[in-house]
Amino acid sequence: MDQHIKLNIKLPKVTDIELVALEGLELMGRHLGITDDKIGEARILVTEGIINALEHSGSEIPYVNVDFTMTKEKLIILITDFGKGFEPEEIEEPDIKSKLSGESKRGWGLKLMKSMSDDFEISSGRNGTKITITKILS
Amino acid sequence: MVKDFDLTADLVNDVLVMKTEGYINNAGGEKIAQEFDKHFSNGVTKLLIDIEGSKVVNSIGISFLIEIIEKLNEKGGKLYFSNLDPSIEKTFTIMGLFQFSEKVSSVEDIK
Repeated sequence: MDQHIKLNIKLPKVTDIELVALEGLELMGRHLGITDDKIGEARILVTEGIINALEHSGSEIPYVNVDFTMTKEKLIILITDFGKGFEPEEIEEPDIKSKLSGESKRGWGLKLMKSMSDDFEISSGRNGTKITITKILS
Repeated sequence: MVKDFDLTADLVNDVLVMKTEGYINNAGGEKIAQEFDKHFSNGVTKLLIDIEGSKVVNSIGISFLIEIIEKLNEKGGKLYFSNLDPSIEKTFTIMGLFQFSEKVSSVEDIK
């Protein structure tokens, strides 16, 4: 049976706190012999997911929960915040040409997570947002 | 553990060569943009960022690079990258950065 390891962490809204999760991710990946390239892509997914969640977490419950489940074959990342939620369908897909001429250069997180992952699900409501990202590692 | 962000900057002929170290986040991106602005105001329009020392980036940090591209485009200049980690190269590709910037092996590749 494949080895199956988990990490659950609760991250407060603190500058660069996503690095704590990345440390755990890299240790888990090394333990299972995952390639640097796959860990590198997972690093982008985790970073963007946590930044996005912290941005939406609000001030009442200013932390996010991060769960990793990793095997040699795949990584499942679950990131939950407890903010007011948002409408993912209303987020406009960013485009480099319009970003270059526009005021805001930001807003790439969802596009990166969707493009870099093998499966991406998001559910958002008045009690928070949950994203589930699957990354194939083998 | 990811190192704190730092950079060095040197002019090699007409190219500003920056070497970054550590996490390119909001603060890191801002430092790159501030260093670029100092040279851009003196007429430098070619920037090479050697990113070998940065294995972690985020899209907020990269948004500062988009600002730099915007300024360079207005003056007919260009942004170049070298020593990209494969995951960072993929990130830049998804964001479309290579439509307005270029990957090179070293400063000698820049004409």
